[in-house]
Amino acid sequence: MKKVALFAITILLFGTISPSLANHAYGQNDPSILLRIAVQADQQIVNQLNFKYGNQIPNNIEILYQKGHLSVQSLNESLSNDDIEKAKQDFLLAMNSFMQISRTISQSSEKITMTAIESDESDKKISNELDRLEKSVKMLEIISKKHNEIIQNQDKFDKVYSLIKEMRNQIVTGENLINNIIELRVLIDSIKNDIRESVAEKQSNNLKRFFEKLIDKIDQKVMEAKVLGRDEIEITKANDLIFEIRELLSQNEITKAKTVYSELKIVLQNIGISVKIT
Amino acid sequence: MTSLIEPIQSKNPLGDDGILFVRNGSMFDTMVKTPLLVASMIIVAALLPIQSSFSSPRDLNLIIYPDGTTHVSMEIDIDPSLTDYELNLFGKTIDNFVVIGDEEFLLDVNIIDDSALIQTFGSSVISVEYDIYDLVSKQGKLWTFSLDSPTDFTLLLPINSAIVGMSNLPINMKLVDEQNQISLSSGKTEIDYFFSTSIVNNPVSEIKPEIDYFPYLIIIITILFISFGIIIFVRNKQKNLNPKESIQKSQKILILDIETIFTLKPNLREDDKEFVKFIFNNGGEALESELRKKFLQPRTTMWRAVKRLEREGIIEIEKKDLQNLVKLRKNMEQEQ
Repeated sequence: MKKVALFAITILLFGTISPSLANHAYGQNDPSILLRIAVQADQQIVNQLNFKYGNQIPNNIEILYQKGHLSVQSLNESLSNDDIEKAKQDFLLAMNSFMQISRTISQSSEKITMTAIESDESDKKISNELDRLEKSVKMLEIISKKHNEIIQNQDKFDKVYSLIKEMRNQIVTGENLINNIIELRVLIDSIKNDIRESVAEKQSNNLKRFFEKLIDKIDQKVMEAKVLGRDEIEITKANDLIFEIRELLSQNEITKAKTVYSELKIVLQNIGISVKIT
Repeated sequence: MTSLIEPIQSKNPLGDDGILFVRNGSMFDTMVKTPLLVASMIIVAALLPIQSSFSSPRDLNLIIYPDGTTHVSMEIDIDPSLTDYELNLFGKTIDNFVVIGDEEFLLDVNIIDDSALIQTFGSSVISVEYDIYDLVSKQGKLWTFSLDSPTDFTLLLPINSAIVGMSNLPINMKLVDEQNQISLSSGKTEIDYFFSTSIVNNPVSEIKPEIDYFPYLIIIITILFISFGIIIFVRNKQKNLNPKESIQKSQKILILDIETIFTLKPNLREDDKEFVKFIFNNGGEALESELRKKFLQPRTTMWRAVKRLEREGIIEIEKKDLQNLVKLRKNMEQEQ
């Protein structure tokens, strides 16, 4: 029995530790990727340096480049020798050197975040915005189909796709798209609301079941808190809120019940109750 | 005070002045409730993955658009007993935020700064999709993606982008619609990239992911452990078997069958044949005392019979615990 128990413990310990071991191993996939990325970065840096400085590359950048380039060569050798750890070091050294060069090259320009890009990038931005909105609409369409509500919303979906197509054409012709973007966003919000409303009953039944179970549990905890002599004023408040939530649930007023539940959570915290459905 | 050293399992009551002696071999069984320990370990082992799986994205995918906006999509395992879940967003400028819960319900969300309070109400898995403007910045022609990710993730770079700097090691890279998709590990990541027309026809070629043998190695080691354990267990069982049974097993292979013995020794007495049959059926051996009990023979008569069979070369006699062990001879046929 002792040996079996020891064996079981060994297996369990091993089983517990092994996932963390596997995580470390995950980073060791195909090391040749490192060389491909580094070589491409090297080429790109050469292009940028030629474009920016021609034959007059500043000394500090030249040194950095040589450092990066030598690291790429060393990376190649390390991979040939199957020295993965060295290859990783070489990769990081090379990419760090190239990163410093590219940042030095771009230093004279102002750093901007994406929200501030308006003028020169505006067409690209709107085109990308349309891509993202279209992606979002497609997702809503999938949800709509899942709940068999596609027929109800089909007109709106058709209109959205038509508008997106029209706007793509307008980008080419250079027209102002602001109003269309606004219209598109309103349409998407409207589809979202339609989906919410159409599945509201199904969803509210689920929520109601969840809520009722939760409130029963809370009620029980509040009673226990009363027996333990916790703050009576807070317990009375909690009971009132529980009663109110039950009333709202019986009237299918799920949204209002949610709001009251937010108040109840604060009261429960004051009493020192933590509730989970099990 | 007793001078007898006894293992604690003997459960003899100790006097007030009794000294407790514990054999080293019994320490484990005595001091630790083994079944309790094993059960606790099983619970811990079972809970660890559940605990770590809750509230952290199990799948995180990012797409960088050419304008620098990043689309985030993730799936998160949620504790279904909770009413809401607070998700830390990767920034404050968020757009097109959609959360879908179990059964494809759209869930209500309240976004405050870089945090989203999602009303999960019993959902066990949620999928979150949003666009964010905070992850990419631009300086001159250089674009920089920065993220401190809580989990491993994939990043799809814009078409025609060329990486020129990277702060950590990629796990993998592949081509998706002429775009490079990099898999990266959790933690801080910075990637610098340029847009270049020179790489349109030269994207980083797709690399088929090499099989990571480490998890397989772990599985194999585990299997070996289990096999090793089973072997030890079976061996111990075998050791603990009645010695007679194990002897029976081995001798059955070696001794002749009863008819052959009688054929080889046609002149055997009928009562001797009965003894031989009994010994044979007893696995090839029997104590002389067992024979006496079985055939209700006096000690001397049985002794003579045994000696007779020994002379005939059918049996051999061994001493075992001050008794005579009568065994059928193994190589009788060859001797004949």
